[in-house]
Amino acid sequence: MPDMSAIANPQQRQFNPYAENGGTILAVAGADFTVIAGDTRQSEGYSIQTRYASKVFRLTDRAVLAVNGFAADGNMFVKKVKQRLEWYRHNHAKDMPLRSIARLIQTMLYAQRFFPYYVYNILGGIEEDGTGAVYSFDPVGSYEREACRAAGAAQSLLQPFLDNQIYFKNQTAARGYSHPAHLPLPDVLSIVIDSFTSATERHIEVGDGLEMYIVMAKGQTLPDAVTNLLPEELPSTGDGERVFVLKRDLKKD
Amino acid sequence: MNALLSKFSATDADSEIRTAMDLAEEDGLTDAMWGSQAGFGQLVQGHAFNIPAVPNPTAFLRLHTDDHADPNCKIKIQHGTTTLAFRFQGGVIVAVDSRATAGSYIASGTVKKVIEINPYLLGTMAGGAADCQYWETYLGIQCRLHELRNRERISVAAASKYLSNLVYSYKGMGLSMGTMICGWDKTGPTIFYVDSDGSRLKGDLFSVGSGSTFAYGVLDQGYRWDLTDEEAQELGRRSIYAAGHRDAFSGNTCNLYHVKEDGWRFIGNYDITKMHYDGPGAVPGSLGSGYGYDVRTDNRFSVLPKPVSA
Amino acid sequence: MDHFPTNWGRPKYDSFDTHATYPIHNRGHAQSAASNGAVQHTHFSHSKSALRQPIVTGTSVLAIKYKDGIMMAADNLASYGSLARFKGVQRLHPVGDYTVVGASGDMSDFQYLQHILDGLVISEEANLQDGHTLGPAEIHEYLSQVMYQRRTKMDPLWNSLLVGGVKDGKRFLAFVDLLGVTYSASTLATGYGAYIAQPLLRKAVEGREDTLTEHEARTILEDALRVLFYRDARSINQYQIATITANGADISGSLKLETAWGFAEGIRGYGAQTQ
Repeated sequence: MPDMSAIANPQQRQFNPYAENGGTILAVAGADFTVIAGDTRQSEGYSIQTRYASKVFRLTDRAVLAVNGFAADGNMFVKKVKQRLEWYRHNHAKDMPLRSIARLIQTMLYAQRFFPYYVYNILGGIEEDGTGAVYSFDPVGSYEREACRAAGAAQSLLQPFLDNQIYFKNQTAARGYSHPAHLPLPDVLSIVIDSFTSATERHIEVGDGLEMYIVMAKGQTLPDAVTNLLPEELPSTGDGERVFVLKRDLKKD
Repeated sequence: MNALLSKFSATDADSEIRTAMDLAEEDGLTDAMWGSQAGFGQLVQGHAFNIPAVPNPTAFLRLHTDDHADPNCKIKIQHGTTTLAFRFQGGVIVAVDSRATAGSYIASGTVKKVIEINPYLLGTMAGGAADCQYWETYLGIQCRLHELRNRERISVAAASKYLSNLVYSYKGMGLSMGTMICGWDKTGPTIFYVDSDGSRLKGDLFSVGSGSTFAYGVLDQGYRWDLTDEEAQELGRRSIYAAGHRDAFSGNTCNLYHVKEDGWRFIGNYDITKMHYDGPGAVPGSLGSGYGYDVRTDNRFSVLPKPVSA
Repeated sequence: MDHFPTNWGRPKYDSFDTHATYPIHNRGHAQSAASNGAVQHTHFSHSKSALRQPIVTGTSVLAIKYKDGIMMAADNLASYGSLARFKGVQRLHPVGDYTVVGASGDMSDFQYLQHILDGLVISEEANLQDGHTLGPAEIHEYLSQVMYQRRTKMDPLWNSLLVGGVKDGKRFLAFVDLLGVTYSASTLATGYGAYIAQPLLRKAVEGREDTLTEHEARTILEDALRVLFYRDARSINQYQIATITANGADISGSLKLETAWGFAEGIRGYGAQTQ
């Protein structure tokens, strides 16, 4: 006599196609630059799989994408976005503008509405009007332009810090003074570095290394305070926007 | 039989990569993506979405994305809202909050929940943020095509029916949206409520979302057809404030729109905490003081001792 | 095993028994459902994936970078649940001239992978003859695409794979699993090895990738295999080691692990103590 209860009510415990690979990403837009950063630890549960796996990728001379969540989905998604941007370049002989990349990412994520990419995306770069911009997405493609955003394992540690330091939330300006609308690049970089060192202290899935991509608007040069940190400049196609990478170690425990 | 054959015969390197490429095409990498229809071109193809290969795809989606059934689910889709719209002699007032929550985390306090479909049509966002953004953008495309084909603007009734039919075709698959399509057409100011269950209702006054009951309380109390523009805008603000104050999943700021015969106009963005203490500021219709009961009563009925000024 | 304390005591979604701890006859309801003709028919015609689970499995694979290239090790056991079913199975597979793929997990899926990888090498090298040959990076990319695509079809190839090799003077070592998750590091281990061997390998290798000799590397891997054999009930004391250098890939014959069990006598709970 077979186990009829199992047939009447088949408890299909099926294959789980998702995993969670930890890490955190972060982006801040300035007046004429954007910083997009991510740590380089990849983990599953309590195991560190590797101490160096990039989560931040340059798409064009003025667009950088950070992905976080399920690493396999993230890598596949970046690959597909890059492919679509290359096709666009072949067809239109120019790079896709940032706001169009944002909309492209929305439609690509929403195409997987019923089998979502488990990926939180943050797109940063320079708009056509030369301003710094950050777009953040949920896994199925709802998006919004913002000035700063943290996502991933330590988003609930970092976002309140950014709200306070970038948006000056719950801060009162001294009498006769007002808060600046945009911070200069050296200030943003030190906020980003402090964010990640603090997240490393308090979150087990964050650490090992930090990669910061800096996108500078056309005609803008790096301030001396940043040049002294010896960022690496990525090769660009022309005299337009420029992308720099700054790497830092984070604690590895 | 062919399906069976193809399923079990392909075992060489080329066929594995071929199936990988087939999968890529299922994502919609087709010729339709080149044109002005952009990513929406995939809908023309008739195979818009990739569905997981499991016996019950809806259960699969719920398993991984429904944070109500399981707070530990990994993919948290943004939720939570108060939106409202009402019709009066001066047009349509649309007011919404700006909070998005994922579980108990406030994912954003700056969400645009009014979607500007075109200069004469507004849609509101409640439920899945991506569902509303995507389908109302898509509705915008269809409304423009209607204009080009028929040499006149689409009616609010037709636009809302387009959306309603569309989401109804996905009924039961996990879409989540409760939206109000608001506009001014030949028949005057119009509001239709459309949701992902397939409901489509015409009405004078709606509020949608977790904070809707609080908004209705204020709205019903203050609503008249012959409200002036200023009074109507104030009523919208005041209702969203009430919801933001009493509903944990609503808050941050209020976005206010007014639709008139010549299209919609953005009235302003109001901080809900600021409205509590100081009121909406020097705007038409404002009483000039905070909405908070403790503010209005000057703390006379508070259990706490009255603060002593220094 | 799920290591997050907040997840403990909750119903699990994945019945998948990562380390083949349960005897096959009482792994969930999948078996009894499959034994019913009608149920089997619907699943056969609609999705063959729903009831799949690993049957004959291999345990950990270990690999490290060293001075001359990559060294990879795996034992020769293929288990059927807790039964040590096949004791002479090779789990390291050479692909082309520069690459070795090591597999843990389901052995029939691994055999299928060997088949398509061999096909891939033949079609690349025999048919195209364009002067390009597949190196370890290309093999790994191909494998990760196949693994990810199969997980997306909800029909995974139930393996964790290590891909190691040397081409054009560059060492390459990377991982890919049934979900399509990939990563690269100077020491890698799959299965129980990720918990037991990986800390030992990291301690011995990190920072010394360019100085470790072949002999030292071999000793490190043998020590790690020995520790695994002591603690992993799905392992065996016969193993093979693959070395991939600029001169190509070499996979050893089956070797015997030297073990000493004298220490176990004094440990309560290890041996035959009754109290």
